Amino acid sequence: MSWADRLLFVDRRIIFLFVFVGALVPIIAPIGLGVTVSPPVQQVFDRIEEMQPGDAVMIAFDYGPSDGPELDPMANSILRHCHFRGVKVVGLSLFPLGGVDMAIARMRQLADELGAADGVGWVNLGYKDGAQAPMKAMGENIASVFPTDANGVPYEEIAMLEGLRNYNNFEMAISLATSILGEWWINLVNAQFGIDVAIGTTAVSAPKYYAYMEAKQTLGVIGGMKGASEYEELVERHYPQAKGLSRTATMGMDVQSIVHLVIIFFILFGNLMFIVTRGKKEAK
Amino acid sequence: MELQLPGFGQWIAAFFTLFVFSFLYKDNILYRFAESVFAGVSFGYYIGLAYINTLEPNLFSPLFGDFSSNWSLLIPFAFGVLLYLRYVPKLAWISQWSLAVYIGYYIGVNLLQRLHGEILPQTKGTMLPLNVEFGQLIGNLVVIVGVITVLIYFFFSSPHRGPLKPAARTGIYFLMISFGASFGYTVMGRISLLIGRLTFLVDEWARPLVATVFGG
Repeated sequence: MSWADRLLFVDRRIIFLFVFVGALVPIIAPIGLGVTVSPPVQQVFDRIEEMQPGDAVMIAFDYGPSDGPELDPMANSILRHCHFRGVKVVGLSLFPLGGVDMAIARMRQLADELGAADGVGWVNLGYKDGAQAPMKAMGENIASVFPTDANGVPYEEIAMLEGLRNYNNFEMAISLATSILGEWWINLVNAQFGIDVAIGTTAVSAPKYYAYMEAKQTLGVIGGMKGASEYEELVERHYPQAKGLSRTATMGMDVQSIVHLVIIFFILFGNLMFIVTRGKKEAK
Repeated sequence: MELQLPGFGQWIAAFFTLFVFSFLYKDNILYRFAESVFAGVSFGYYIGLAYINTLEPNLFSPLFGDFSSNWSLLIPFAFGVLLYLRYVPKLAWISQWSLAVYIGYYIGVNLLQRLHGEILPQTKGTMLPLNVEFGQLIGNLVVIVGVITVLIYFFFSSPHRGPLKPAARTGIYFLMISFGASFGYTVMGRISLLIGRLTFLVDEWARPLVATVFGG
């Protein structure tokens, strides 16, 4: 076996090692690469900017811990943005495997960072089974689906929820979604009840949502860690009080950039070795 | 920021992360152990979640709190219980009533949802004007040509010969570009997962551990 053949069939564990080192180095020593904002993310930000203090936004935490690295930074940035604007946040979850705990963790972080109090700036309604059925029923009466919040306090007794009966009383709904739940917020909630819907989603799911955005079924898409880093950038650019708060997606994009370079190198390297070995075989 | 020795939860999470990473070297018993624990914990979590967040506030609490106003909840409750009769061979057929209601509801919801929320608006979204400025015209043409040629590629009722052949071929190129974009996003998503775990290992486990033990 020639040296080119050996390099062509390099053990995949060596590639894993390169990716591992490429990912680890920027985590230990962040580089601080710049962030450029794309229109789909800007549109979501602008829609919240248009709102007045006291307006309400519904945020669905439709993801679990495995999607946290991408969607947690999005949730943090959107919650901070709503807090700075004085917009009320009603959180809920329709995703079974961890959604309600993601909502609790993100809202607790908002309370710790900025002092936003439960029942004043935000309320977490908790989790409900069935996805489409609650989505549909909330168009009539949210309290029938969520008779209590996540702490067991009856819906009617929470002052912040006064006047928030159904989708008509909200400026928009944002689904931070994995799986098909984001699509349902668009093709069920937006289509049947007319409320503006924005989607924050994992990179794996992001491409399909751009078709919905082109058809004006969703007003914007925050796609993956890149989208989250853009939202972090926008919030910090517009609100000086956000400076110094964690920007995990922006830090993560350093890693993405390095690891992508490693992957591109191996793709080029593999093709080059393939061409070299093919040339030798043809010569024989 | 004052760093403390990682807590019990952090140690458990760190070890399970390392167990799962060990699969990258080769399949082993630690990986399988972590996989089994994850499956079991997820199932247990889901049962507890469904009880605390759905059954308790939406069924048991209203039934025990004000039975006369909420007695109708017994009907969905009964259908839910009937589902479990599938484990009693002689009575398994009764569970199909519950399934029939469940399937009927979701077919009704989905039919309207797909037609009203997807097919019609997406079709409308491809009917784009051509009397627009040059830059937008190019974008609109790409969408129109892409949709038509991909539909032709998936039109299998007649062979892809004659004028259909180049159109179907163009459709394949559009599909390939689309798959490429999706794959690129998928790579980014998977790296994000790696970032999440490595960030945890470095910032919440290794860094506090090293700082506490060696004083940093």
